[in-house]
Amino acid sequence: MADLLDTPTTSPRRTRRARPAAVLAALAMVALAAGCGGSGGSTGAAGGGAKADTLVIANAVNVDTLDPAANSVNESIWMTQNIYQRLLQPNANGTDVIPQLADTWDISDDGLTYTFHLGDHKFSDGSPVTAEDVRYSIERSIHYDGGWGFLLEAVKSVEAPDPKTVVITLSRPHAPLLADLAMYAYAVVPEKLVKAQGAKTFFQHPIGSGEWALTQWNKGSDLTFKVNPYWSGKKPNFTTLKIMIVPNDNSRVLLLQNKNADIIENPPGNLINELSANPDLQTYLFPSTRVDFIQLDQHFAPFKDPKVREALNYAIDRNAIVKLAYSGHATPGSSFMPYKMQYWNNSLKPYPYDPAKAKEILSQSSYPNGFNTFLIEVANDVAGNATAVVIKSDLAKIGINVDIKTYELLTAYGKEDGGNSQMGQRYWTNDIIDPDEVATFGVDPNGGANAFSSYWGDPTATKLVHQARGELDPDKRRQMYEQIQQIVYDQTPYLILDYSPYRYAAGKWVHGFHATPLGNYNLSLETLTVDQH
Amino acid sequence: MSGRFGFLGRRVLQLIPVALGITILVFFLLHLVPGDPARQILGQHYTPKAAAEIHHKLGLDQPLWEQYKIFMDRLVHGDLGDSVYYNQSARSLIAERLPATMFLIAYAGVLAALISIPIGIIAALRRGGVFDQATRIGTLITFAMPPFWFGIILLLVFALKLQLFPVSGYGSGLTDHLWHLFLPALTIALAFSTILTRTLRASMLSTLRMDFVDTARIKGISRTTVLMRHVVRNAIVAIVVVFGINLAFLIGSTVLVENVFSIPGLGQLLVDSVSSRDYPVVQGTTLVLAFLVVVVNLVTDVVHAALDPRVTYE
Repeated sequence: MADLLDTPTTSPRRTRRARPAAVLAALAMVALAAGCGGSGGSTGAAGGGAKADTLVIANAVNVDTLDPAANSVNESIWMTQNIYQRLLQPNANGTDVIPQLADTWDISDDGLTYTFHLGDHKFSDGSPVTAEDVRYSIERSIHYDGGWGFLLEAVKSVEAPDPKTVVITLSRPHAPLLADLAMYAYAVVPEKLVKAQGAKTFFQHPIGSGEWALTQWNKGSDLTFKVNPYWSGKKPNFTTLKIMIVPNDNSRVLLLQNKNADIIENPPGNLINELSANPDLQTYLFPSTRVDFIQLDQHFAPFKDPKVREALNYAIDRNAIVKLAYSGHATPGSSFMPYKMQYWNNSLKPYPYDPAKAKEILSQSSYPNGFNTFLIEVANDVAGNATAVVIKSDLAKIGINVDIKTYELLTAYGKEDGGNSQMGQRYWTNDIIDPDEVATFGVDPNGGANAFSSYWGDPTATKLVHQARGELDPDKRRQMYEQIQQIVYDQTPYLILDYSPYRYAAGKWVHGFHATPLGNYNLSLETLTVDQH
Repeated sequence: MSGRFGFLGRRVLQLIPVALGITILVFFLLHLVPGDPARQILGQHYTPKAAAEIHHKLGLDQPLWEQYKIFMDRLVHGDLGDSVYYNQSARSLIAERLPATMFLIAYAGVLAALISIPIGIIAALRRGGVFDQATRIGTLITFAMPPFWFGIILLLVFALKLQLFPVSGYGSGLTDHLWHLFLPALTIALAFSTILTRTLRASMLSTLRMDFVDTARIKGISRTTVLMRHVVRNAIVAIVVVFGINLAFLIGSTVLVENVFSIPGLGQLLVDSVSSRDYPVVQGTTLVLAFLVVVVNLVTDVVHAALDPRVTYE
């Protein structure tokens, strides 16, 4: 007890320790003061937008890399399309290619030699874009491990005979070449700088010849761009572009309501109607190349039976899926190719919802009384989870009992690729405007992806995929792709569910924002205006 | 003094087996989880051939123990390896993200102390009164509210309605950080202060019952002096210990809060990297966080011993 009494009375130590407490208290006062003072700063920051000089876009997904050869995440791709240019680019509707670095191009009669004539373009450090830069960038992307080289396997050589000319020679005719070259992976980077700094360093502070020059990149937080001072195209109506990374759906919506962001990506589907009702805001639904479907793995005996697959097509209520999963903001699916993209088969109609017919077709199959199966879905995918529920309930009506198995994203994908998945939720999005890519992955059993892991194959369809790739006559190509789509539609190796759009919300003070079906919006930034708000 | 340094030295030495254990646990547990980083990199363009190329590039085609050997070999040279996903070294990624999280944790800690110390003391002194009852119910409510929900509520009130604070981000410069991180720090602090307030209150009550308090009063020392010099000083020791032990709680909260407030911190990096099976970054981040916990526990012990002479450095 004496100890207890003695201990606290050593006053010199007490006074020493009183100081940190005072410092802490002072710190907190600063914090609170900053909190109150900061609100003024907030208004000031928003004032930047009020002068219509800054456009702020809040994206849902982090930017992983600004190296076009390594790009695979949409939100990163859209950034690199602001920074760099390619020889060509897709037009605003994604139906054709238009010039970018190359003003014009010639194709030899045999379709094996493409000659591109470059216009006058400069990187944002003032150095000119040369044919040598183009050659280096294309070859770099072709040889990038795990990159996009597989698209350009037909390319024999890329040459730069003079600073304004690029010649690409093919080993066989390859109709999608222009579309492939318009892809983000084939963006042009300054060879000298990349080599001098090393790719790893260069792509932390990259320089390109695109409309926007990156001035600041706070990893995981935001990116700031200024107009490329050497940009040869139309000068945008604002000088600063800021991209914020805000993964939380609710926080993005709050940012917009608060006018701290002008445009937000991917507002939650269930808030679309509410946001549209707000007099200050507007929502956009841009057609995308996304196709939602269910893979039917043919290692599972029932799915080998065409009658079973046909029955499934009539058993599923696509309108209910669109309503429940996308609040009505999607289109029921028919063709496996992205909605209204090049050579999309307009004559195919979504299979109607007809449980009686489905039951009748199933009764003619080897499984007249149905069977048990499972459906793999990805956890936390709200639209996907709603879709799974509709499928389970619809198939139960024809005697097929579906067990929904939920896995975290990568585990789900691993199981779906593994060849014993039965039913699996999947989606596809195009990277190029040409249908060659989706046909190779979805139809050709030797295309590497086992026809979307369905392990289905049809000799006629496969032959057509190969022929169409080498066919240079657009009319003949159209006929071939329409036939391929018809075969897939009839045989149903996977269940095409719906085409869902890109969702954006913006303030009404933003005019002219537009994303192409491939998702990039760099074209619309050239003409977009931001009112005072 | 030599005792103190010997104590510190021993504790630092004890870090080595702890760190080794952490590396083994993190490395092998992570590789037990199904899911392939190549699938994440290739996305919908996954083909077994392309995946095999990536596995080779990343060294994932080697036996697990060989991969662990390479990982440890790099680690002792201060290299955490390269991120699978970000085309950047894991060390630089972590270094970029660490300050925001540290700032947030420290800020939340300070706010929690500022909230809980006065409330805990007053509640103990007015035991059973209105303030005490309100505190007990209030702390229960703040503790029960999940940070991601409570964060959104704070955003709705202070960012959207009152427009006092920003919705997201970290800002640049000290004042800007303090402003940007106020709501996230408060979200964590309110939940954390429950533990501190209740501990302090209980500790105060038991100290107040001690004989030495009566003795001091009988000796004629004023009530305030007894309270500040004897009671609070003794009671506060308890919350220092609780504070240290609950650091793991703080770190856990930052993961959720960083998501709601879009703060580019270590918690978000960890969650993203686990989802994409970015092994080097997960290993690096976990090691850094584990190291932080160990260091804070060490600091807590030292501070505890400094505050309470009954605790020796043995």
